[in-house]
Amino acid sequence: MSRSRVSPGLAGIAGGWLLLIILAAWATPTTVPIPDLARAGYPPFQAPHWLGTDPQGLDVGWSLLQGSRTVVLISVPAALLTLLLGTGLGSAAGFWGNRLALTRARAVAGAGLLTSGLLFWAQLAAFPILGALFLLLAGSLEALLRRTRWGRQPHFLPLDAALSACSALLDSIPLLLLVVAVASVQRPSVSGIVSLLALTCWTTPARLMRAATLQVAVQPYLEAARMTGLTDLQLLRRHIWPNTWQVAAVRFPMTVAALISLETTLAFLGIGLAPETPSWGRILSAVRQAPTAWWLVVWPGLALIVTLLSLHVLSRWLQDRMDVTNTSNNLLT
Amino acid sequence: MPGRSLLRYVARTAIAGWLTVSSLFLISRAYTDSAAFLRSSLENSSRPLPAARRARLTQQLLQRYGLDVPLFYITPDSATTWRPSWRWNGVRNQYHRWLTRAVQGDLGTSYRDGSPVTELLARSLLYTLPLTVLAAVCSIGLTWGIVVWMNVRPSWRSMGLLSLHGLQAAPLFLTATTLLLLLANPDVLAWFPAFGLGLEDLEASWWQQPGRLLYFLVLPTLSLVLVTLPGLAVQLDGALQQELHRPYIATARAKGSSVSRVVWHHGLRNALLPTLALLTELLPNLVAGSTVVELLFALPGMGRLLAESAATQDYPVLIGAIGLVALVRLLAQVVADILYWVVDPRIRVQV
Repeated sequence: MSRSRVSPGLAGIAGGWLLLIILAAWATPTTVPIPDLARAGYPPFQAPHWLGTDPQGLDVGWSLLQGSRTVVLISVPAALLTLLLGTGLGSAAGFWGNRLALTRARAVAGAGLLTSGLLFWAQLAAFPILGALFLLLAGSLEALLRRTRWGRQPHFLPLDAALSACSALLDSIPLLLLVVAVASVQRPSVSGIVSLLALTCWTTPARLMRAATLQVAVQPYLEAARMTGLTDLQLLRRHIWPNTWQVAAVRFPMTVAALISLETTLAFLGIGLAPETPSWGRILSAVRQAPTAWWLVVWPGLALIVTLLSLHVLSRWLQDRMDVTNTSNNLLT
Repeated sequence: MPGRSLLRYVARTAIAGWLTVSSLFLISRAYTDSAAFLRSSLENSSRPLPAARRARLTQQLLQRYGLDVPLFYITPDSATTWRPSWRWNGVRNQYHRWLTRAVQGDLGTSYRDGSPVTELLARSLLYTLPLTVLAAVCSIGLTWGIVVWMNVRPSWRSMGLLSLHGLQAAPLFLTATTLLLLLANPDVLAWFPAFGLGLEDLEASWWQQPGRLLYFLVLPTLSLVLVTLPGLAVQLDGALQQELHRPYIATARAKGSSVSRVVWHHGLRNALLPTLALLTELLPNLVAGSTVVELLFALPGMGRLLAESAATQDYPVLIGAIGLVALVRLLAQVVADILYWVVDPRIRVQV
């Protein structure tokens, strides 16, 4: 199926806008401006507030600039973490499938180490030196079992099944509801919301990465490389990732876009971030107090739409460049 | 489906639902700060209480909300003696009590106003169910119409796809706010009401109720449809385009079928299969979207109940609502699997 390619001019405009956003996020001072109470709810196109003020008397243009900082600081790290987690888990699941082999000796020693650590966690926290003792015991158990025939036989870990069960469980609740529920439990903070977003959004990149890895893993050249005696990690690094990383790269702008719309939705609802954090969603939510103030919707709405469209264009452009097909993004936020 | 695989399927679905709701319960209860909860409850009675009375009241409150026993069958124990640092609590724990009651259909009472969770959920579903079902029906119908139209009249296709992609980029809250400001604003066009549902329901007689509900639901439904439509339409259009390049379409055209008949009777039927997966997510996603829409349009529905219970840390209501959504999602999955089985004969052979 032929698809129209993104023209270089459009890609340039999109890239330029995104650069502007990053520049604004980097250059805007963090100090909270003094509200101009005499001109609260002031319409735009008048000095000194060219984009108007909100009902609290804050300048909309200034809030927009400061909101871009929140956009960049939350969505980009969250997208990077999401992709790292998703690519790692997805390519592991695709590469090893349900047959990640361990010797039985190692499996028993590992399980023993894990259970003893769980059982005696309080003692471990009080005397960390105990950890060394546990490690020593597990190591000697492994060395002992390795000498028996039973211990040398392989034991398979169902990595793929475990991962797909995890992602099915995560996907059974819509993302927005999950984030709303968890955000109600934890204290509002930037690092908290970033890790929450990363921990809930990794399933889509993991699924894409798993499919890409499965496609590469059956190629004859991989069989040949395995025959030369490369270890699993070497195979992954030298022969699989060079052919699959484009999938993650194309996914990056889409992930950022999804996270931006999720973040602004949360700010709009007033969930997850401290209420004084400047955000485009928060400017928009002020319109509920002043329904006639169209400028509270138009400016942040335009900024948001242009940013999201630019990210979509960027993703399409990367697809053209790298020649990978990407499934459309259907997160509803 | 043969009996055994059906049984396995049902068991898997049930286990997934149980795991989801249980982990939600445990996480939310583990974070319930019972000291802060007590303080906020006791502050309601403004007089300073004598210490003995206060202790008794505290005990009563904890007992009433089931917070007086340990959380789970085993709980961590931080005493550093040479015993395993876990304590066995038997069945006298919050999780066991909650689960036995939930199985009997009692989801507990709200922390906020003490009314039963099931009653709150039922009352809010009265508004959310019409909203989501209406939005689902409208967006499926519109998707169907738009995709068929775009493929029968190819000159409009690129234009249609462009606007669909543009719509897809806008988050729901932006679309809904824009609609609210344009169509429910006395300064621009006051065609639809911005709020007021659930306030004076008693004044209208019973035969006016459905019409009134519909009138209030127009804008929320429209915003939900505008957001879900693009994803569905783009997906169906892609699948249909792929089908239309297959040889059997050329055969049908060569035998004299018109373009519209080929699209309707031959292409669409085969293009439906990849789109079914998206349909399973439609209903739960609409419920998630109704969180935003109901807050914005002040509808007393489930999304608003959810957001408010999250904001006030009213966990019994939160768990009930999210569990219901997860249940809907699982049911939608079951329905989709049955639909796959009906639509595609090849799957019947594989099972």
